[in-house]
Amino acid sequence: MQSLSSRLLVSVSVLLLVFFGATIAVLDTAFVEAGEQARRDILDGQLVALLAAAEPDKNNELEMPERLREPRFQSIGSGLYAELRDSANNVLWRSHSALGLEIPTGVRPELGNHLFARENLEDGTPLLTLGLAVEWEFADGSLKSYVFKVAESLDSFNAQIAGFRRQLFGWFAAVAATMLLAFSMLLRGLLKPLRQIESEISEIEEGDRLSLSGAFPTELRGVARNMNLLIDSERARSDRYRYTLDNLAHSLKTPLAAMRALLNDQHNEGFSGRFDEQIERMDEIVRYQLRKPSASVADNLVLQAVKVEKEVARLVDGLRKVYHDKHPHFEVNIEPGMQFRGDTGDFLELAGNLLDNACKWCNEAVRITIVPSVGARAIASGMVMTIADDGPGIPQEAADALLQRGMRLDESTPGHGIGLAVVKDIAHSYGGRLSIKRSAELGGAEITVSIPPVTSSKSG
Amino acid sequence: MRLLVIEDDATLRESLARKLGESGFAVEQAADGKEGLYFALEYPVDLAIIDLGLPEMSGLDIIREVRKQGKAYPILILTARDRWEDKVDGLSAGADDYVVKPFHFEEVSARVNALLRRSGGWASSEMTAGPVTLDLSRQELRVNEEAVELTSFEYKIIEYLMVRAGQVISKAELTDRLYDQDFERDSNVIEVFIGRLRKKMDPDNSIKPIETLRGRGYRFALERNQSG
Repeated sequence: MQSLSSRLLVSVSVLLLVFFGATIAVLDTAFVEAGEQARRDILDGQLVALLAAAEPDKNNELEMPERLREPRFQSIGSGLYAELRDSANNVLWRSHSALGLEIPTGVRPELGNHLFARENLEDGTPLLTLGLAVEWEFADGSLKSYVFKVAESLDSFNAQIAGFRRQLFGWFAAVAATMLLAFSMLLRGLLKPLRQIESEISEIEEGDRLSLSGAFPTELRGVARNMNLLIDSERARSDRYRYTLDNLAHSLKTPLAAMRALLNDQHNEGFSGRFDEQIERMDEIVRYQLRKPSASVADNLVLQAVKVEKEVARLVDGLRKVYHDKHPHFEVNIEPGMQFRGDTGDFLELAGNLLDNACKWCNEAVRITIVPSVGARAIASGMVMTIADDGPGIPQEAADALLQRGMRLDESTPGHGIGLAVVKDIAHSYGGRLSIKRSAELGGAEITVSIPPVTSSKSG
Repeated sequence: MRLLVIEDDATLRESLARKLGESGFAVEQAADGKEGLYFALEYPVDLAIIDLGLPEMSGLDIIREVRKQGKAYPILILTARDRWEDKVDGLSAGADDYVVKPFHFEEVSARVNALLRRSGGWASSEMTAGPVTLDLSRQELRVNEEAVELTSFEYKIIEYLMVRAGQVISKAELTDRLYDQDFERDSNVIEVFIGRLRKKMDPDNSIKPIETLRGRGYRFALERNQSG
């Protein structure tokens, strides 16, 4: 459970459940108790009425009148029953309503005591019963004990409770659902700025955005500002790095060019030849070492979306000028709208070096194919760039040497210069790789650079 | 042909200018961007060699401004920054080719000749029009496959005319482009050299390679065998 909003929603749901559960329990208990008390009071009243209606007969036994005032005692199965038992628990009288029913004897109450009990009829109908044991003094002075018992069926009461509970649960469920809905809407509103930051960071990672916008609530403004500072300083660092390298290259190479010019004026052939070799070596070191990739996959926030079609078109236009006499035929196959997530300079180094080599070595045909490569959970697609020509190709040994051993300057593939070494370094810095083979269709060299898709730095 | 070299490193600039001069070009030099732009816009220039990293104004800005002002002559970039980003920027700004420092002079010279030939519309360094062939890389003129002996000044004139075959070139333009400033400027000299060229290339006056247009100038009149 990573998301803040689901955490909050679950916590609130648990709280609501506990709170409403307790409320429901209290209300239910109170309702049931109040209901039962009311029933007892009614039974008590009925019992008093029974006692009042009992009359002794001539045989000094108690006798109940034919008709009682309570009509429910008269109609069969009304749910209100009464009976009178003697000291041996023999039924002396039973109300008309209890015709055909056997009211359970139950526990005999202590003399003079009321005893409430829950009992069942034979068919399982629950009863609330009230028994009262009395000692009757007859006119002849004899004492006899009797038990008066009234019983009321709890069916209607239970139905009432069930109805009450249904209503209680229904209402509380409705209230809880409404509260949760309102809460989750509130949460959406509150968490909107966080989601915005999240999506803006994704956009930065995808290269569609340069910095976070400033439109955040006070609590988040500091985070956004610091995030922007971090991004800016990363960019500045990467720019400064490149600028320093460029300046270093420039300030080393102009003196080298001047030295070479001076050397040409010398007429000592052997001396200037050897000197020239050293200049060549220094130049290669400067070119190789100072043309390191400017970005890598780790610099997620610095990378931008390079418009591949546009940059390749610029390169091809430039190379058409440079190879004007050779007039190579360029075949460009690029997925429309394709973007490379990285540094424009690095992309131009990759494509520029490979295209330049292809132009140099081709007879007349150069083909560049760039397609995106996609992966699971990638926020930006990778790239597979293949550049082929119809020239003599690169000997397998030289290709293997370059790919396996790594590049040392004096081992640079003859004729392909240090361009391939630079391409390999850049490909590696983006987590990609380089492969060299013979083009099946064109017959010359076919060099493929595969850069894997970028996965988000976000977890989850 | 008049070349403009804009380069802030004095040793490099002077050496380049001297050697280009030895190869038969008239060369103007500028040591910073502003001066360079002034020369590039105001002087009759056939080709400019521009360093990208200049004080006062960058080489890239000069190229953009020159192209914006409608100047179409070829531009060769000298650059120490050999990132493709810089090369592509230079080429898209309007340059035609680049040479990366430290270069050999021969490399620059070869690119310059190729650019000049291209700007005249020739695709190969062997330019052939009828029986006349001019080999730019060997600086050799042949008529009916026979080499013609020329002085360096005669060669410069026929090269200038032939690269621009079909165009009318005024005497003033020829004088401008072929003399270095310290030469004596006398248009009669041009007439004399044209006369000598005609005699050497066409002793029996049968192919008539150079046409005189009275009051306007000269034109290399033979049809090109191939063009780029």
